[in-house]
Amino acid sequence: MKKRLYLELENCIGCRSCLAACTQCGGHEERNRNYVYDVNPLVNRQTMPLMCLHCVNPACARSCPAQAIQIHETGAVLSALVEKCIGCQNCTIACPYGIPKFDTEQNLMYKCDLCIDRSKDGIPPMCASVCPTNTLQWLTDEEIEAKQKQFNLDNGKWVTSMPYLEGETNVKVNLPGILQGVTKLF
Amino acid sequence: MQMDNFRNERDQYFKEVDNLNHPNETLVKTHCSYCAMQCGMNLRVNTKTNKIVGVEPRYDWPVTLGKMCPKGVTAYQQVNNKDRLLKPLIRDDQSLKGTKNGFREASWDEAYDLIVKKFTELQENYGKDSLSVYSGVSMTNEKCYLTGKFARVGLQTRYIDYNGRFCMASAAGGLNRSLGIDRGSTIPWTDVQDTDCIFLAGSNTAECHPTMMFRVWAIQERGGYVIVADPRETPVARRADLHLDLRPGTDLALANGIVNLLIENGHIDAEFIKNHTNGFEDTKELVKQFTPEYTSAITGVAPEKIIRAAEIYGKAPNAIVMFARGIEQQIKGVDNVSGYTNMALVTGKIGRAKSGVATITGQGNGQGGREHGQKADALPGYRKIANPDHVKYVSKVWGIEPEEMPKEGVSAFEMFGLMKQKTIRALYLLCSNPAVSAPDQNYVREQMKNLDFMVCVDFYLSESAEFADVVLPTTTWAEDEGTTTNVEGRIIKINQAQMPVGESKPDWKIQVELTELMGRGKYFSHLKTPEDIFNELRVASKGGTADYYGVTWEKIDKQDGVFWPCKDEDDPGTPRLFLDKKFNHPDGRAKIFALPYRPSAEEPDEEYPLRLTTGRVVYHYLSGNQTRRIQFLRDMCPDPFVEVHPETAAKYNIDHEELVRLYTRRGETTYKVKITEAIRKDTLFVPYHWGHEKSINLLTIGELDPISRMPEFKACAAQIEKLKIKKVQ
Ligand code: SF4
Ligand code: SF4
Ligand code: SF4
Repeated sequence: MKKRLYLELENCIGCRSCLAACTQCGGHEERNRNYVYDVNPLVNRQTMPLMCLHCVNPACARSCPAQAIQIHETGAVLSALVEKCIGCQNCTIACPYGIPKFDTEQNLMYKCDLCIDRSKDGIPPMCASVCPTNTLQWLTDEEIEAKQKQFNLDNGKWVTSMPYLEGETNVKVNLPGILQGVTKLF
Repeated sequence: MQMDNFRNERDQYFKEVDNLNHPNETLVKTHCSYCAMQCGMNLRVNTKTNKIVGVEPRYDWPVTLGKMCPKGVTAYQQVNNKDRLLKPLIRDDQSLKGTKNGFREASWDEAYDLIVKKFTELQENYGKDSLSVYSGVSMTNEKCYLTGKFARVGLQTRYIDYNGRFCMASAAGGLNRSLGIDRGSTIPWTDVQDTDCIFLAGSNTAECHPTMMFRVWAIQERGGYVIVADPRETPVARRADLHLDLRPGTDLALANGIVNLLIENGHIDAEFIKNHTNGFEDTKELVKQFTPEYTSAITGVAPEKIIRAAEIYGKAPNAIVMFARGIEQQIKGVDNVSGYTNMALVTGKIGRAKSGVATITGQGNGQGGREHGQKADALPGYRKIANPDHVKYVSKVWGIEPEEMPKEGVSAFEMFGLMKQKTIRALYLLCSNPAVSAPDQNYVREQMKNLDFMVCVDFYLSESAEFADVVLPTTTWAEDEGTTTNVEGRIIKINQAQMPVGESKPDWKIQVELTELMGRGKYFSHLKTPEDIFNELRVASKGGTADYYGVTWEKIDKQDGVFWPCKDEDDPGTPRLFLDKKFNHPDGRAKIFALPYRPSAEEPDEEYPLRLTTGRVVYHYLSGNQTRRIQFLRDMCPDPFVEVHPETAAKYNIDHEELVRLYTRRGETTYKVKITEAIRKDTLFVPYHWGHEKSINLLTIGELDPISRMPEFKACAAQIEKLKIKKVQ
């Protein structure tokens, strides 16, 4: 059964275990490819992860003059091919979220590949495996649909479940505010 | 319960997930080396080099399902770390004590000879009790058990205690007093997500026990409530339904205030109180005084919030009260524990699934390590050294005469006082780093420096090792096997994934070899493996409160752990306590305690107007001796800092990231300021994982709880000062 990465941003506690876990993936040369932001550091402890959303029509790949960014049959948008990447960094600029990272020494882009050695066989990526809060989950489409229904909310103040942000993506996201529509037990 | 095919519960989160097997690697199932969540993990071992090379989630561990915090993910990097001690070290020049300098590598024989010579000399001149053992609970039950026996039978000294005095001692004291038993949790963690209200007091859960957070958030997703009592708006407090932002050191007033409202609102369970408790009427009388306004005046929490908290907890069909070091590391830590436990006892929300009381244990084996006799007053199975019958039983297991059993010793912090008086002249330190973790560091370091002789057993040269004459290299958790008892009271198995690095040896082996050289081998030589030690522990604990007799390593594997008490082979263990509403006091009743409020040992005044509190960050564990050596964790949080509210910062004219002088009556140091609205205006917070001049424990106070002998790390009076910037010439 095909599973996807699903993000529930409200849950994040900023532990950065997802970053630590990213360095542990076999093909990642101990460098993490994801980000966690402090939303408002002088005010509170809100944080959120910033992950590659694996766009269906990825700007990073489209912008690459050397066709170095391949799309895996699972939909994962892979890291640049070492032999093709010319180090122009078009991809980082083209990506709406600035995801691709750059190694100046190797003159090479590197980015999230959804731990392709794991996810191609249905094993969850390292980040979603370890995330202690279920901010990052590895779910089936049915499970994601149920989640988006459960938290569907658009009341003018909070918009939580949207089909997608910039363009259609393989990774699904629920924005902060998921609890606003929950009916209390008592 | 039927023993055949029994397996501890798996909950709605359990999924069958494959692991990734890398070529030329095998996976060894084990648990994290750090906190008491004891997250399941697989260590990746290269089959050619036989070395640990990485970590793989353990999806089939029912408590944590593959989840790990950043400490757990990188824990394996301790093993083949460049800082590992590979050989024993000896320092001949005593004037270099307190520094890293002067050590030379030595053989085990030479190191042992020196230790035996010094220990024997001191005991001949000053008596058996001139030696002391200071231990820790970040190691297996087998090691903790043996360390108690090593001190009392091997070295024949009364002075043994352990770092749980800075960790779990107040929880132990309070739970024993209220419930008659100190098993940290009355329920398994797989109940947490299904409760209707969790009341978290003094627990920075998201940073200290991150892998239970998905369960806490799930309560809210179902429409249940999360209530957090903490001076800081920690990541769990940020999303809580209610944050009770109390002044550090005022928990007992808050607990009394809530109990008062539970009674007034009629949210009590009169039947339960009548049949299963004592002490209700006295408590009712005492808490009357704690009206919302009175409670608010002491705690600084708005009366409406106190009223709302009592209403939610009172109405919740099921509720769990959990607490941690925030309430326990106070001079009234034991009272705080009993005070919050009163909430469950007056409402009868205990002794069933999804309701109960728990302390969130800190150290990996904080539970098991306090049960088997390395505490000054305790013997295996939670027996007491003051009880002649207990002494008789354990003496028999150990093969000594009851008269030979040393008397009760003193608590960890009090041992430094005896060092000062020269009652204690030598120290055998293992699994702990008091040169960072003890309060009032200037005092503590001086006592360690003045010892006649000190041995430190560690796998790195810790800040405490800098005071030693001999340092013995031991193994990390992954180079040995044994059991630990996790946050739930579940006994689990740690497995060996690699041979010991360099010449290092596991602690138990060092102790057996030393006792043989000291002529006490007949009590120890039969212990050739950790399993031999476990089997002796089973017998030694048999019939005690913490009864492990029915636990075997095989049963642990088969059942996904065993909850104690577990009395015999047919007993699958006890995941939930008090299901029959029988508490462990002789009359079967729990005790509701009437607890008068008292202030902290040192309240703010004109000279020191702020309250200093200390704690942890998610990236580091305890004294930081392990985690500060891991690149990723160091990159995330290289240095301590002081959290200051922006209004307070403005008053002192200090900016974000500016260096300030922070001082108390005991010491001073400088830190970078972190400005945040997520803290009370009258409170400063500094994490404690650093040593030398960066240690916040230079400033903390060594006043102790009268029962648990726990120092008051969580509240003392402090002042802050802008550093005058010297003009560059
Ligand atoms: S692991 Fe999860 S909770 Fe931790 S920072 Fe990453 S997304 Fe947030
Ligand atoms: S999020 Fe950015 S890096 Fe990821 S696929 Fe889309 S455009 Fe490319
Ligand atoms: S430190 Fe605690 S929460 Fe973190 S991985 Fe280890 S056991 Fe789990």
